[in-house]
Parts: sequence; structure tokens; C-alpha cells
Amino acid sequence: MPIVETENLTHIFPDGTIAIQDISLKINKGEFVVIAGANGSGKTVFARHLNGLLKPTKGSVLIDGKPITENIIEARRKVGLVFQNPDSQIVGQTVAEDVAFGPENLNLPANQVKAVVKESLEAVGLSRFSTRSPHTLSGGEKRKLAIAGILAMKPKVIIFDEPFTGLDYPGVVQVLKQIVKLHNMGHTILLITHELEKVLAHADRLVIMHKGKLVEDGKPEDVIYHSENYGVRMPLNDGQKVATLTWLK
Amino acid sequence: MAEITFFHYIHKDTVLHRMDGRLKLICLLLLSLSASFASKLEHYLVLLFVVIFALLIAKLPIKALLKDIKFFGIIILIVIVVDAFNIPGDPIPYFPVTSISTKGLITGLRFAGRLTIIILVCAVITGTTSLMTLRNVVEWFLRPIPFVPEVRIATMISLTFTLIPVIFDNLAEMMYAQKARCVELRKNPIERINFIVFPLLSQTLRKADEIVYAMEARCYSEVRTRAVFKTNKIDWLLLAICISVFLFVIL
Amino acid sequence: MSQNQVTQMPTDTTTANLNLRITVYVALFTALIIIGGYISVPLPLGPVPIVLADLFVMVTGLFLGFKWGVTSVALYLSLGALGLPVFASGTSGLAVLFGPTGGYLFGYLLLVASVGFIASKGKQSIIKNLTALVIGNMLLYAIGVPWLKAVMNLSWAGALAAGLTPFIPGIIIKITVAAALSRAFLPRFNDSASVK
Repeated sequence: MPIVETENLTHIFPDGTIAIQDISLKINKGEFVVIAGANGSGKTVFARHLNGLLKPTKGSVLIDGKPITENIIEARRKVGLVFQNPDSQIVGQTVAEDVAFGPENLNLPANQVKAVVKESLEAVGLSRFSTRSPHTLSGGEKRKLAIAGILAMKPKVIIFDEPFTGLDYPGVVQVLKQIVKLHNMGHTILLITHELEKVLAHADRLVIMHKGKLVEDGKPEDVIYHSENYGVRMPLNDGQKVATLTWLK
Repeated sequence: MAEITFFHYIHKDTVLHRMDGRLKLICLLLLSLSASFASKLEHYLVLLFVVIFALLIAKLPIKALLKDIKFFGIIILIVIVVDAFNIPGDPIPYFPVTSISTKGLITGLRFAGRLTIIILVCAVITGTTSLMTLRNVVEWFLRPIPFVPEVRIATMISLTFTLIPVIFDNLAEMMYAQKARCVELRKNPIERINFIVFPLLSQTLRKADEIVYAMEARCYSEVRTRAVFKTNKIDWLLLAICISVFLFVIL
Repeated sequence: MSQNQVTQMPTDTTTANLNLRITVYVALFTALIIIGGYISVPLPLGPVPIVLADLFVMVTGLFLGFKWGVTSVALYLSLGALGLPVFASGTSGLAVLFGPTGGYLFGYLLLVASVGFIASKGKQSIIKNLTALVIGNMLLYAIGVPWLKAVMNLSWAGALAAGLTPFIPGIIIKITVAAALSRAFLPRFNDSASVK
């Protein structure tokens, strides 16, 4: 049974714009899927359906085989979403407080909140910053804080929406390492990006969206040669292998 | 611009920093009230002693405190001068300027003393209490009041202070960008304000949507884990001191 | 993590969504009022620069209406009363709230309440918004000036000279800007937010 499944997912904005149309996609447990597409191709709108932030005009989302509408809070716990702009995701005055936001929402007892915060900060290597103001962190650290905030909810699936935007080279490496580590720990990863050269080597699957539709879905080495038809740069030079498409050494 | 320190909180490990925030807030209230009711010289002396004692154990940097007080210094001076000249009474003996009355000067000094003590008490409390604690304390005190959504208010407080540096950074960048295009040459103040306020408001409103989604993605709920407070014996002792001071002043 | 803890949580996300949206708006406008206290714009005439805190109080009234506008300003005043440096140029505390300029701070409540009340009644129109802003500002100074007079022991002439006259150009400018802002943003804002 796929862990996340969408059936004919369609979202039409009140003004009539079709954001996504008839997207059917099955994601299996433990997969690392990269979703690529040009700006405005509907990637973010699609991602926001997977944990019920947006409600489909038509179609449905199933998490672990159950419709998302059955228990939306449960779905949001299972499917964590790391936003593109960490500044809008951070709500705490200190790093630790921000990570505690999710578990506190779940009304866990205070000692459990503390334990899960500690664990999550250790997992992303931010423990030494726990009393710092999030605003004073670097770009890469902020992104990692956003990831810790999601980890504290113990998700099975983690969606990253453009995780590399605005990061410098060390920042990208920091975040990418973290993502690969989470995948190795057994999380299912969905990563939205148009910068394939930074990450594709780690993916099991590449999905391309174009004008709200799902146009390609398959093994990265098969799909990648079509990417430029859909406004995504094809990063391979002659003879280069997909396995070289990573910023990790 | 983002360098402006918004909270005077200074992270240290002292008795006052560890003190239960709820008792600390009661102390703030008691001492402020005492200062407002103080009438005799010994009242002021006792209060001043307590405040200096608190400042010493809180180990707050004096320089930052003085900077805080500088602004009030001007107001305090004006009040003393205005009172001294305006309130009728006997002139001060052996003092060359006869239009200054003893009664006026004393009234002025009293006001100044009161203000100084309140400002110092406030500085000690905010210097030793993190915003997070303050918010939790506010939530705790609001809990028993019916029809007041205490969790919601606590969330508003948190969000407000999370947003300030973010909006400020935005604003600073915007203003630098305008300076780079010589906005100073525009003399019309309405235009100048419009250049700041229009983009500021539109960016801020757009941000609201993102924040709502991000909070929902993390299951925002108003039924949430409550803060845990710890009270030590020393905390009660400090509260007892403040109560005695208050009683001493009003009785 | 135990599962039974999760059962007490609200499952109705549509009303939760609207409530959260309002919570976020109140926080955003409170933040804007605080930031307004730190922005000063020089005036070509006179020595007093314009501070934007009261402009954002007006804007809060126009955008959030009576109830949530008052909530936002009350939050602003309470944060200051607790000692957080939110008042103009980073001051705070009961000393400011009950000091010479305290009347203006309490006046913000009247300003936001009257602007919010008048502006959210009936259909949107620039004339109505302008009326609301003018009445609100009159109330603001009707509290601020006598308060200043009482605390500082000034004469009426002195209180007006210190607490009203130098600000008149600024008041006119801010009312104009607030009205223009409401015209530019309010229609779209009301569609998306339905706050009032």
C-alpha cells in the first residue's frame, strides 16, 4: 500500500485559474521522490494538498490508505511540510521553543515535549543553539530549524518545498546532508525543486509537473532527458551520469 | 535597523533569573504600587534600597540600564523644574532664586523619585525575564478569567515578537534600496511615507497567508501543552519582602 | 509519543482556520504599530519628525474593525505595561503609560475604536473612512492634551503648544496616507479575510 496517494487531484482557485489538474500519484514508503517543474507549474499547491492545507476542488488524497479528510490532524502529523521561506515557518522566540510548537499543539505532556525537542535538535545538530533567537541563525541553520520543528511531530513523510532557495554553498550542503540522513533513517522524502543538479543523485524517482499537470514520472535517468521540454534545466553534460548530480562529495 | 534590541532580557543564571515568573510579576505590581503610594522620605529610601539590592543580585549591566533611563531623565528634570516654579509656597531659605518654592521643589522631587523607582523595577523585571516566560505568565494569570481566550492571546504575543525582526529586516532592505535611488531628494513627506508604508503593508499582508499555512501544517491548536512553573523557597522569600515593603508604605 | 493525547484536539479545521487567521492578523498589526514607533520621517517644516505608530493605529482600525482593532491596540498597551520596549523609541512600562504622554497611548484605544467602528459600518467609501479618521484623531488629542496639562502642571496655552500644534501637519499627512492605504488595500483584504 502506498504511504501517500492522490487520485485525480484538481485545484481551481476562486478566480478560475487551474492550479493543478488530475494528478494521480502513488508514493511508496521509503521512497525519495524529486518533484521538478518551472515556476507556476503547481508544485507548491500540490504539496499543500498532501497534508490538507488546501482542499481539492476534485479528487482525493489518501495517507496510509485512508482519506485525509477522515483525520486531518493525524495526516498533518504523518506528513510534515518544510516551507520554502523559513521565516514564515518559525514562530518561537528561541530555537527550542520553536521546535516545541508542534508537540505543544498536540497537547503532549510537558516532559514529553522537552524530550522530543531535545531529540529533534540533536538530529539536526542544533542543540548548542537551543536558547538562541531563531532570527540570528544563518540561512542553512534556519532551514535545519524548520526541519527540526517538523521532526518533533514524528512524521513518516517529509515534504521539502524548494529547500535550497537562497542558500550559499555550505548552506546547501548542510541541508542536503540532513535530507539524505533523514532518508537513510527511513523517512519517505518528497523534494520540490528546479535545481536538479544539487540533489537528483539521491532520488529514486523524478516527477515533472508542467502547467498544473503531471507530465513525467519515472526513474531519474529515464525522465531527466525530457526535463527541458518543461522549463527545467537538464543538468547532464555528454556522458555524465545521474549519480554525479549532487552537491555532496 | 534590526540591531535594535527589542527585549532588554539578558540571559544569566541568578536568583532573579530563576525566580518563578508569576511571583516576579506580582512583585513588579507590588513595588510599582508602593512607589505610587509612597509619601514619606523613609518610604522612598526603603524602596530605593530594595531596588538597588535587586539590581545587584540580578547582575544586570549598568550601562544598558543608564541608557534606558536617559530618556526618562529629561522628563524627570522638566517635571522638577516646572513644579518648583509653578507650585506656590514659601521660597527656599538662603536660596537666591526666590520664585522657586520649597513645596514645589519637594513635589517635583517626589514625582521624580516615584518615576525613577518604577522605571528601575521594570528594568530589573524585564532584564531577568525572557519573553517566553512573560508570555506563559500572562497566559497563567488570564486562565481563571472567563471569556478571555488566554491561549490565543499568548499566541498573539509570541507571533508579534517573532514578526517584529522579520518585518524590520524587510523594511530596512526596502529603505536602503530606496536610498540607493536617492529617495532623500523627495521633499514631499506624504510621498516619503507612502514609499515606506505601501510596500510594508502589502508585504505584511501577504506574509499572513504563509504564516497561517505554516502554523496549520504543524497542527496549530489552542488546546495545547501548558507551561510548567517551578517555585523555590527563595522566590517566596522575595515575594514576602515585596509584600512587607508594600504594607510598610500603605500603613 | 502516546496516541491518546491526540484525541482532545479540535477536528473542525474550517472555523479553526478563520480564528487562526484573525490571530495572525492581530499579531501582524500589533507588530506594525510597534515598528511604527521606530520609524520617523522628517518634516520640511518644524522640528518635530513624524512617528508612524499612530498611523498604524489608524490603519489597524480601518483593516481589523472595532473588535479586533481594539484587541490589537490593547495588546500593544499591555505589552508596554509589562515592561517590553514597544512604545515610541523603545520606551516602556507603567511610568510611560501614566507619564506625561500616557494620554496619547490610552487615546490610541479611542482612536482605533472609533475608526474601526465608523469605518466598518455600511459600505466602503473614502469619505466615510476620512470622517472616521478625523473623528478618531480629535478624540486622541482630546485625551492626550488635557492629560499632558495635568501631569506636567502646564497652562492650557502651554499644553496646546507642546501637545497639539506641532503635530498638526503630521496629523493631516497621516490621515491622508491612511485613507489612501485603505483605498488601495481594503477591498482585496476584505475579500480574502472576512475579519469583521
